[in-house]
Amino acid sequence: MKKTLFTRSLSLLALTGVLLAACAAPPPAAQPAAPAQPQPAAESQLPAGWKAGIPKNPPDRKGKKLVIRDVPKLIGIGYFAATTKGMEEAAKELGNIDFKTDAPTEAKIEKQIEFIDNFITQGVDVILFASNDPVAIAPVLKKALDQGILVVGYDADAQEDARQFFVNQATFEAIGQALIEDMVSQVGEEAEVAIVTSSLTAPNQNRWIEEMKKYASSKYPKLNIVTILPSEEDQQLAFKATQDIMKTYPNVKGVFGLSSVAFPGAADAVKQAGKCGQIAVVGLSTPNQMRPFVKEGCVKSVVLWNPIDLGYAAVYAARAIADGELKPGDTVLKAGRLGELKINGSEILLGPPFIFNKDNIDNFDF
Amino acid sequence: MATQAGRLTQAHRQRGLFAQQEAVIAAAILVMTFVVSLANPDFFSATNLLDIAVNTAYIAVAAAGMTMVIVSGNIDISVGSMLGVCATIAGELARNGTPIPIAFLAAVAAGGLIGAINGALVAYARIPAIVVTLGMLSILRGGLILVTQGRWIESLPEEFFFSQRSTLGVPNPIWVMIAVTILVGLFMKYHRFGRAIYAVGGNAEAARLAGIDPRRVYMFVFVMNGLLVGLAAVLYASRFTAIQSNAGQGFELAVISGAVVGGVSILGGTGTVIGALLGSLLISLIGTASIFLKVSPFWLQAVQGGLILLTVLVDVVRRRRRA
Repeated sequence: MKKTLFTRSLSLLALTGVLLAACAAPPPAAQPAAPAQPQPAAESQLPAGWKAGIPKNPPDRKGKKLVIRDVPKLIGIGYFAATTKGMEEAAKELGNIDFKTDAPTEAKIEKQIEFIDNFITQGVDVILFASNDPVAIAPVLKKALDQGILVVGYDADAQEDARQFFVNQATFEAIGQALIEDMVSQVGEEAEVAIVTSSLTAPNQNRWIEEMKKYASSKYPKLNIVTILPSEEDQQLAFKATQDIMKTYPNVKGVFGLSSVAFPGAADAVKQAGKCGQIAVVGLSTPNQMRPFVKEGCVKSVVLWNPIDLGYAAVYAARAIADGELKPGDTVLKAGRLGELKINGSEILLGPPFIFNKDNIDNFDF
Repeated sequence: MATQAGRLTQAHRQRGLFAQQEAVIAAAILVMTFVVSLANPDFFSATNLLDIAVNTAYIAVAAAGMTMVIVSGNIDISVGSMLGVCATIAGELARNGTPIPIAFLAAVAAGGLIGAINGALVAYARIPAIVVTLGMLSILRGGLILVTQGRWIESLPEEFFFSQRSTLGVPNPIWVMIAVTILVGLFMKYHRFGRAIYAVGGNAEAARLAGIDPRRVYMFVFVMNGLLVGLAAVLYASRFTAIQSNAGQGFELAVISGAVVGGVSILGGTGTVIGALLGSLLISLIGTASIFLKVSPFWLQAVQGGLILLTVLVDVVRRRRRA
C-alpha cells in the first residue's frame, strides 16, 4: 500500500509547520489587561478620570473588626506562603482583624473564582487577591464590590475597574535602576557588560532592559552593554549564551540574567568556567533558585521584591480603606514598618526592590 | 528480508550528491568552522570546540533514537517532556541518597518505559505516532509541573555531576555521544533488525510481505528512543548545578531538526545516525557562530528555520526524481 502523493505532502506540510513553530516559538505573552471601562461616577468626590472600582454602599467599618480573606493564585508554594506571612504580621500589628488565606492548590482561574464566590456568600469585609487571569477574574470581583465588599489586589492585577487598589510590587523603572546599581557596585562605572534575557520579545524583560539602558546612559555612560542574547526560558540556552559571551567579549566584566531561568543558567556558566569573582552575575530571580550560587559566593546578590512586605502592605491598604483613610486620589499610604508608600493612581507602589544576599537569603523560601 | 532491505537502501545510496547529505553537512561544518575562525580566531580554540560538542551531546544522543523512529516512518514529539521527566527522576533519586549509578539507570529505564507505552499505542492500537506522542508530551509535562511545583532540584551530591567531568581530557558527554552514534549506527547498518527499520519505513506493506512484522519494529524503535532520551536526560541533568523543573521544553524540535538537517527523511525509509549527529552539530555551530560574528540574535531563528526548510525541500526533490 503506497502512500499517495497527497498524504505525503500533507504529512510533510504538517511537519514543516511543527519545525517552523519550533524555530520561532513565541514566549507566552503576558496577559494583556483589557482596557478598563469608564466607571459611572457612583460617588461625587471621585477624582477626574478615576477608573478603579468602588464598592456599592459599604457599611461603616471605621475602627470595627474586619474579616479579611486572601485568595492568591494558589497556595502550597513558598512565594504565596511568604505573602501570607506578611499579611498575618500586619493583621497582628493592627489587631481587630480576622485574617485567613484560602485558595486552590493549583493556579487555576475557575477554582480561584469559586473561592472568591464562597467568601462573597459568607459576607466577608475584605477580599485580597493575586489573580490568575486579569479578565476572567473581573466579574466575580465586581460582584463583591456590588455587595459592598472591599477589594484589593497584589502581585497580579485584575482589570482596573474590578478592584479598588492594587499593590504593585515593583515598577519597571525601579527594577532597572536596582539592577544597574547592583552591577556598578560590583564591576565599577567603566565596564563592558552583557545581558541574557528570556526571549527577545518578552514584554517585561524588554521594559526592564529599556529602563536599564535609560538609567545607565544618564548615570553611568561608560557602562557599555555589548550584547543582549535570548535564553527562551531554557537553562541550557542561558548557559550556552553566557559561555559564548565570555569567549566573544573577553573584556566583559558582568552578565545580567533577567529571568529566573536566565540568571541561574548564566551563574552556572560563569561558575563552571572558573570565573567566579572575575565576572559578576547580577539579575532577577527567586532566592530558592539562586541559593546555591549565593552560598558559594559566585552570585553576590539577587534583585527582586520582598513578598512578605508585599502581603504586609496589602493588609495595611485594606485597613486604611475600611477606616476611610485611603481614598481615591490619595498619593501616600502609611504602611506600618514600611513607612509611607507612594500611590500612583490606584496603584500602591511597594518601593525599591529588595536585595537578597548571603546574610538574608535563608529567611526566604520561595 | 534483510537482503531486500539492503537493496532498498543500496538504491538510495546511488542517488548521487543529493543522497550523500551526510557528506554535504560535514563539509558545511568544516567550511563554517574555517570561515568563522578567520573572522574570530577564538572560535577555533579547543575550549570553544569542546563546548560546542558538549552542548550538542545530549541532543545528538536523543537524535540517534529519533533517527530510528523517523526512519521507521514514525515521529516522537514527546521527547522534550520525556527528557524533563527522566532528568527529574535522576535528580530526585540522587538527592534522596540513591547511589548515583542507580539513579542514572532509573532515568534510562523510565525513558524506556515511556517509549514502550508510546510504541504499544502506535504499533498495536494503531494510533498515528504524531497523535500518541503529542498526547504523551502534554501528559508528561503536566505531571512534571504537578510533581515539582516549579521547584528546581538542587543540593545534588558532587558525584552526580557526570557531565561536568572529563575522561582522558575529553568531557564525558562527548564520549557518550561518540559511543552512542557508533553503536546505533553499526546496529542500523549491519544488524538484521536494524535493516528491518529501513524496510518498514520504506514500505511497510512490502516489508510485511517479506516476513517482517512492522509492529515489532515500531515497538522496538520507540523503546530504544525512550532509553536514549533517558540517557540524554542523564547528560543534561548532570551538567548543571540545579535541574530546571520544566527541563526539555522545545527539546523535541532541536532533536528532530538535527535529524532532518542531517538527512533523515521525515517520510521514513532513509537516513543515518551519523547524519543526525552532524545535523545537530551544524545547528549548534550556527548558534555559536552567530554570537561570535556578532550577528543579531533575531536572525538566528530565521537562519536555522531556513536550513530546515532547505533540507526538507532537498528531500522532496530527491523523492520526486526517484518516482
